[in-house]
Amino acid sequence: MDFPKEEGDSSKTIAYMELAIEQAKDALNCLEVPVGCVIVEDGKVVASGRNRTTETRNATRHAEMEAIDVLLEQWQSNGLSISEVAKKFSNCTLYVTCEPCIMCAAALSIIGIKEVYYGCPNDKFGGCGSILSLHSSSFQPLSGFSFFVP
Amino acid sequence: MDAHRDTCQIVYIPDKPPVAPDQQPTVNVFASVIEPKHANTLIRRLNQIAPLENLRHVKRIQKKKQAEGGKTELSVILCLAIVDEKGLNGFPVDVQELVNAYNLSPFMAQVCKYAATSKEEWEEQCKLWPTSFHPPTYNIDGITGFSEEDAQSVLSFMKMAMKLAKSGDGSILNAAVIVDPSVQQIIASGQDQVFSWHASRTKASGGNIPVRQSESVRSYSDSNGAPAALPNGSLITPENLLVEASCLKPWQWSKKPSDISNPCYSHPLRHAVLVAIESSADRDRRLFPCSEDNEQNCLEPMESSCADSPAKRQKTSLEYVEGKHSSPQTEDSYPGAVRPYLCTGYDIYLVWEPCAMCAMALVHQRIRRIFYALPNPNAGALGSVHRLQGEKSLNHHYAVFRVFMPEVLDIVESGKAANGIC
Repeated sequence: MDFPKEEGDSSKTIAYMELAIEQAKDALNCLEVPVGCVIVEDGKVVASGRNRTTETRNATRHAEMEAIDVLLEQWQSNGLSISEVAKKFSNCTLYVTCEPCIMCAAALSIIGIKEVYYGCPNDKFGGCGSILSLHSSSFQPLSGFSFFVP
Repeated sequence: MDAHRDTCQIVYIPDKPPVAPDQQPTVNVFASVIEPKHANTLIRRLNQIAPLENLRHVKRIQKKKQAEGGKTELSVILCLAIVDEKGLNGFPVDVQELVNAYNLSPFMAQVCKYAATSKEEWEEQCKLWPTSFHPPTYNIDGITGFSEEDAQSVLSFMKMAMKLAKSGDGSILNAAVIVDPSVQQIIASGQDQVFSWHASRTKASGGNIPVRQSESVRSYSDSNGAPAALPNGSLITPENLLVEASCLKPWQWSKKPSDISNPCYSHPLRHAVLVAIESSADRDRRLFPCSEDNEQNCLEPMESSCADSPAKRQKTSLEYVEGKHSSPQTEDSYPGAVRPYLCTGYDIYLVWEPCAMCAMALVHQRIRRIFYALPNPNAGALGSVHRLQGEKSLNHHYAVFRVFMPEVLDIVESGKAANGIC
C-alpha cells in the first residue's frame, strides 16, 4: 500500500512535504544542495533538517542526519533512556524532498524509523530501491509523488 | 615484529565478486557458418541491422581451422537469441532476409556476457567464442601491487587503527584513521561513539570531539608527521575483550542495558567512520577558515569543470598562506598546503569492513582508498553483503583493500571468545 487511504491523510502528507520543501528552499538560499525534511511523531512535527554539507565541509551532513541529531539530543536531554529513544523513533515518520541516499537509508534503518515519504527518486545513489534497497519491509516509499523546488 | 613480516598481505577487493574463469556468465546468440567471400558484406550489414550493443568485447566473426584438409571456416554472430515467456523468439525480419538471401544455416552459440578482466578469464572466454581483451589500466595506486615502502606504511597506519580500537573499558570498537598518503600525515581519526556521544560538546566546540584519540595517535608520529614505530609490538591482548564494533551490529544499539554511571548520551549513528569524517571536516575548517565575504573564493567548486583548474587552486592556496603568516601555526598545518576538496586523495584505515551507512559516507567524502583488516560478514558493504565499490551509478569510486597482519588474529580470537562474532 503506497498511498494514504483517506483524503485527510493525503492532504496531511502534502502539508508535511511542503514543510520539507521549505527546508530545502532554506538550504538553496544558503548555497547548499536543496534537500530538506521533517520528522513527524503522532501528527506533530518534532524535528526538521536540511543539507549542511557546504557549510560544515562534511559531506555526510544530509538533511536526515541533521534532523535525527536534533531528536537524539533533545530526547536524551529530557532524560529518556536508549530504549525509550528507540521506541519513539519507531513511531516517527520522515518526509524528505528527495529519496534518501544509501547512507541515509541505512541510517534510517539503524534508528528504526517507521515510515519514509520522499518526493523525487534519486537515480544516482538512492537507497530505497533506486540503487540499493536498504529499507525494511516496514518502509513505505511514496514514489508516486514528485516535488520540485523552483 | 619483523618475524611476522612474511604473513602480512594487502589484498585488493575488486568491484565485482570474483568468479572462477570457467563460470563466467554467458548469453545465447544465433550464429552461422558463412562463405569467406561474403564476410565483409555480411558483417557490415549485420552491424547495421543487429548491432551487439552490450557485447562490444565479443568478436562478430570466428575463424576455425577445419580438421580435415586444414581449410579455414568462418562463422558470424547473426543476433542475440532472445527467450521470452512465449519461448525462443525468431530472427528479426532483416536478419531473416539475410539468412534466406545467403542460404545460411543458423545455430545457437554461447558468448561471454562481460569483458574479461584477466588473461585467465579471456582464455576461458575464447573457448566459447572469441572476445577481445584489454588489460585494465588502473589509476589508483596499489591496485597493481605495493612497493615494500608503501606496504610498510600501510601496515603501520593499520596498527594505529588497531591501537585506537581498544576502548578504555577493555572492549574492542571499530576505529578509523584518515591519512594523506602524499605526505604520510594523519588527517583525522576516530573510534565508535555510539555509547559515548558528547552532544553538548559537539555544539559548543563546533563538533571538535575526538581530541583525546587524535592526540594518542599523534604521539606515535614524529615531527614530520611520518609514522614512527610503535613503542612495542603488543597492540591488543586477547584476554577479557568484548567486540563492540558498531558496524558489525548496527541495529543492536537499543539493546544495550542502560549504564547510569555513563555520563554520555548515545548516538546510534556515531560509527568510527562518521566520527573521523567529522573530525577531518573540523580540521579543514580550522586550517582553512573563510569569512562570509570570501567564502566564494575559498569554496572548491562543486562541479569538476572548475575544480581542477590549477590557477584557482594556486590562488586559494596563496591567499591562505599570506593571510595566515602572522598567526601561530597549528600542529596540523604544513606550509603551502592546498585546501583539498573534502577527503580527495586521502586514505582511511579501518579495523572492520564498514557497514552500508559508513561505506556510503566515504563515497560522499571522496576518500580515495579504504584499507580494512577484518571482514564484516553480516553487515559489511565492501564485499561481504553489499559491494558499494562496484556500484557504477555512484558519483565517486574508491579502491578497497583488505590488510592481513598477525596482530589482527588477536582481535579475531578475542571476538570469537567473547561473543561469537567474526
